[in-house]
Amino acid sequence: MVDASVAQRLVDDMISNLPKHDPGKRPVHTIGVGVDGYFTASDVARKYCIAEHFSGQRICAKVRFSNASGSPEQHDGWSDVRGMATRFLLPNGAATDLIATTLGEFFARNVEDFFEFTKFDKQKPCQRESPWRKILDMLQLKVPRRAPYPGEKTNAGAGILSYANRHRFAQLAVFEAKLIGAPVSYARAAYHAIHTFMVEGPDGVRRPVRFSWQPVAGVRNTNPDAPPDDNYLRQELDHRLRRWPARFMLMMTIGEAGDAIDDPTRPWPAKRVRVVMGTLTLTNVAEDQAAAGEHISFNPWRLVPGIEPSGDPILHARRDAYEVSRKMRGGIACPFFNRS
Amino acid sequence: MPNGGSWFDQFVNELPKKPWFKRVGAWILVPIWAWRTPVKPLRGGPRPSIQPADNLQSMMNLIMPLKRENKSPIGRAKAALAIAENKDQIFAGLDNVGTVHFARFVIVNDNICMFSVYDGDFSNYIRDFIATIGGVFDAVVALVEGGDDVLPSAHKVEAFIEWIRRHDLYQVPDTATDFLRDQEALNGDNAASGNDDLSLLPRKLILQLRANANVSLGSGYRAYPGYSAAQVRERLGIGW
Amino acid sequence: MFNFADVQGNIVRGYRGKPRVRHLVLEIADRIAARRWLAACASGGDNVPQITTGDWGADKPVTCFNIGLTYEGLRALGTPDSSLETFPNEFIEGMHARALKLGDVGESAPENWPAPFKDPKRIHLVATIYASDIAQLNQVQDQALADGRTLRLLGGALDGCSFPDDLVHFGYRDNLTQPRFAGVHDAERYADGQPKAPLGTVLLGHPTNFEGLEWRVPEPEQLGHNGTFNAFRVLKQEVVAFEEFLGTAADHLLSQASVDELLPLGADAIGQGLSPRDALREVVAGSICGRWRGTGTPLALSPDRPNLLPGMSLTDFDYDSSRCPYGAHIRRCNPRGGQIVQRVANNSRRLVRRGMPYGPLYDPANPRDPELERGLLSNFIGANLGAQFEAMSCDWLNLGLQDPRITGSNDPMLGANDFKTSWFDLPLRSGRTIRLRGLPRFVQTRGGAYTFLPSLSAIRFLGSLMM
Repeated sequence: MVDASVAQRLVDDMISNLPKHDPGKRPVHTIGVGVDGYFTASDVARKYCIAEHFSGQRICAKVRFSNASGSPEQHDGWSDVRGMATRFLLPNGAATDLIATTLGEFFARNVEDFFEFTKFDKQKPCQRESPWRKILDMLQLKVPRRAPYPGEKTNAGAGILSYANRHRFAQLAVFEAKLIGAPVSYARAAYHAIHTFMVEGPDGVRRPVRFSWQPVAGVRNTNPDAPPDDNYLRQELDHRLRRWPARFMLMMTIGEAGDAIDDPTRPWPAKRVRVVMGTLTLTNVAEDQAAAGEHISFNPWRLVPGIEPSGDPILHARRDAYEVSRKMRGGIACPFFNRS
Repeated sequence: MPNGGSWFDQFVNELPKKPWFKRVGAWILVPIWAWRTPVKPLRGGPRPSIQPADNLQSMMNLIMPLKRENKSPIGRAKAALAIAENKDQIFAGLDNVGTVHFARFVIVNDNICMFSVYDGDFSNYIRDFIATIGGVFDAVVALVEGGDDVLPSAHKVEAFIEWIRRHDLYQVPDTATDFLRDQEALNGDNAASGNDDLSLLPRKLILQLRANANVSLGSGYRAYPGYSAAQVRERLGIGW
Repeated sequence: MFNFADVQGNIVRGYRGKPRVRHLVLEIADRIAARRWLAACASGGDNVPQITTGDWGADKPVTCFNIGLTYEGLRALGTPDSSLETFPNEFIEGMHARALKLGDVGESAPENWPAPFKDPKRIHLVATIYASDIAQLNQVQDQALADGRTLRLLGGALDGCSFPDDLVHFGYRDNLTQPRFAGVHDAERYADGQPKAPLGTVLLGHPTNFEGLEWRVPEPEQLGHNGTFNAFRVLKQEVVAFEEFLGTAADHLLSQASVDELLPLGADAIGQGLSPRDALREVVAGSICGRWRGTGTPLALSPDRPNLLPGMSLTDFDYDSSRCPYGAHIRRCNPRGGQIVQRVANNSRRLVRRGMPYGPLYDPANPRDPELERGLLSNFIGANLGAQFEAMSCDWLNLGLQDPRITGSNDPMLGANDFKTSWFDLPLRSGRTIRLRGLPRFVQTRGGAYTFLPSLSAIRFLGSLMM
C-alpha cells in the first residue's frame, strides 16, 4: 500500500493540473454515464477462477462509462481515452469491481514515475500550427500537429510528449493515447483492465491474468477529420439500449513466466492464451444518474476470494488514491474486502 | 479539422492528399532522408524468446522472387506444377513433421510465396522439412533467383536454412514502440530510456519500409493462441 | 574399417577407467608457438602431452589428453578467413550468443557467468586431461603449459571427479547409454534397443541420421573431416533445492487421493524400511529422470520398483507403451523410438555425453554449505550443433514440443523452470496423471563454449599453418 499522504499527494497533483475542477466530482473520468446490466459467466470460467461472479449464474452489474478527461466541460468528440468501470453485485451482498479503459497500458511503472508525469502534464496554450511549420514538418517526413478543436484553448500534449521522449516505458501509452480518437458509442470500444490479477482455480492453481472487454458490436471510431460533437455519447447509448442490449465479452489473457506481471506499461504479447470468461449484457441507462453515475465509487481493490492483486505498484497506489478522491467528492463508501 | 484559417492554411492541409505531392515525397524526400539517416534492414521471422507461447504458432512469410527467365506465365506455371506434382510429398511432410498448423504456397506477381504457421524453432522446422520434402524445396527453389547457390538442399542444409531465413519477412511488431526498440537494438541501443523524439516515428517507419520493402504487419492474429498443432489434434481426439 | 587413430579418443571412448578430469580454458598468447604446440601434440614429441586418439593399440594410456578449439581460437591461430567462413553459424557466434536457444536466462544468462566464461572472445582452446589422480593431472598440465608463453590459462582449472557407480549429483547414475556407432561398436557387448547410429551423428564427413542430408564439412577437408563439435558446459546443480523439492512433492502427493496408485507395491518395494514419504521422494526423483536413483533402472522397464530384475537391461528398452513419464528427462532428451510429434526426427538428435561431476557429494546431515558449488562438467558431442544439441535444447528440453502432453513445460531436471508456472505430470497406473507444480530451476549454467574437436589430421594441418 502507499502511504496515506502519498495517496493524497497523487490526487492533489492531478487536481492541480486541471484548469477547472469541481470538488464534488472526480478529478479524472469526470464526465460519465451509469448503465445497468447483467453478467453471465461462460461454462469454462469457473475452471480458472473460483470467484462467485464466474460461477455461471446471472449476476447483476452496474457499469459507468466515462471520458478520461478531468475537465468538467464535456467534449465527447475530442480524442480521449474512455473508461468502463463495472461492479458485479454478488448474491450474498458483496460486490467486486473491474475497472478498464480504452488505453491498453499505463504510462508510469510506479508512483515515482507518476509524480514525474504530473510535472509534465501541464496545460499549455495551444494554437494552430502555422502552415509554414506544417510544410517544414512534411519535408522532414513528420506528421504535422493536430489543429486544436473548436473551443480548445489549452492542452497538455506538448508536455506529455516531452515526458514520453524521456522515458521509453511511457512511449506506447502516450503514442496510443494520442491516436485514440473518439468512439461512435461507449458500446463500440474495447476496454482493458491493464493491471495483472492473480486468479485462483478450483484446484488451487494460481494464474496471472489480464482482463479485457471486447464489444460484440465491434470497435468503431468517429471520423477524425469531421468536426467533433461535444455531447452525443450518453444519448447514443440511451437510444441504442432502448432498441437492443449492448454486449461485451470478458476476455482473460493468461500470462507466462517472463511476462511483465507487475509492470502496467507493458502489454502482453498477442500469442498468449485467451479465455472467454463471460458476457456482459447492458440493458438500460440507469434512471438515477446521481447514484449510478456520480456517487457510486469504484475501486480496483474491491475483490472477492478467487481474485487477488499482483504486485503492480500502480495498482497498489490506486487503492488509497481512489479512496482519497472518493472522500473528497463525497462518493458512497462501500465496505470493501479488507486485504493487506 | 479545418475551422477557419487562411486559404494558405487550407491549401497546406490538403497537400498530403495531392498525387503530385505524394510523388515528390516518395521520389525525392524519402531518398534524401534515407541517405541522411541510413536504416539497416531488420531480420525476418519472429523475435527470439524462451517463453512457451511465443514459440507456438509462429508465422513464416517467405517471398521468393522468380528468376528473370521465369518471370512470365510459363515460369509461374512451372512453379505451380512443382507444387501440384508433389502433393503427396507435401502431405507426408506435414503429417510426419507434425509442427505445422497451416501452410500455403501463393504466387503473387513474379514471386512464389510460402506462408505457414509452425511451432518451435525455425531452423528445426526447415531442417525437418528438408529431410522429408527436400525434393519439393529443390523443385521450387530452382526456379527462384539465387536459389541455385543453396541446392541441393540436402547437401547444403545450413546454407539453405540461412537462405530461407533471409527471405522470411521482418515482422513489424504489434506495437509501434516495439518497432522503435527493434531499430534501436539493431544499432546497439538497448537503453531503458533516452532522449528520443516520438514525432520522428513516421519517418523511421517510412525508411524502415524502404529497407524492408516486404513486411508482415504484426506477429499475426490467432483464434486460439498458445497451443501447438499436436496439442490441438490431441485435444480434438484425432491423433497426433 | 574405420580409422580410429584419426579421431580424438574422447569422441568414441568414455575413459571409464580415469576417475579424474581437468579442463583448462586457454587463450592463445603466441600464434606461431601455438601452431608448433599443436603440431607437437599430434606427432609424438615428448615435451607436450600427446593427443589421445581412438586407437589405443595394446595398452591403455596412463592419462588422456584432448583438445577443442573455439571459433575465436581458430581465428587466433590464423586459420584463413575462407576456411573460417565454412564453419557453422552457431559455432561462429559462440555459446554465449545462443543463450535464448539454450535456455540460459536469468541466473544462467551468459552475463552472469563467472570467469573465465565472462570473456568469451578470449577463450580459444579447451584442453581436457583425464587421469587417475590429481598428481597426474598436475603433471600433464605442467607439461602442457610448460613454456608459459604459448598458452595462457584463463581462470582456474576446472576439476571433476567421478563418484563410484557412475553416480552424479542428485543421486542418479549417468553414462549408462551412449549412441553406438555403425562400424565402431560391437553389437553384442552393449545392447540398448536403439538402432546403431550412423557415424555422421558424431563425425563430420560421414552419413548422418537424416536420410540423404549432409552437414557442411568445414574446409579444407583435412581440417573438417572426422572432426566434430562439442558443447562444453559447466552445469551447477542445486542439490539442496532438489532434495527439498522431493520432500515438498512427497508431502503434496501424500495428500492426494490417488497416492496409493503411486506405491502399488508398498513403500518397501522402493526401499527396505522406507517410510511412504521417503518412498514417494524416490518415486518423484525417478519420474523426473526416467531412471531410479541409485540403481539407474529405467522406469520404462520397471515403473514400480527400482530393482533391476534378472534379464532386465539398464539400456535395452524403448518407450512404446511404457509408464515412464512423457516429460522425464531421459525421455525428453532422447525419445528413442517412442512416439513424438516430429516423427522424422526420432534418433536424429542423439549426442555423445562425456560428463564428470565436480564438487563434494551431498551429505544430508549437513545440507547447507553455501561456499561449495556442485555440478557437472559436461560435454555434449555431435556433428552438428544446430541439428543436435541446440535442436534438442530449444524444442525438446524446453517447450516440450515433441509430445502435446508436455508442450508448454520444461524438462523437470534441466529445464529453464520458473517455480511460479512450472509443472510436471506423473502418470498413474489407471491412466490418469497427477500434476506436480512449483519446480524451481535445479540446474544453472555457469559457463561453457562451443568447441570444435579436430581430427588428428586437422590438428597437424593447424600445426602447419603458414602466414
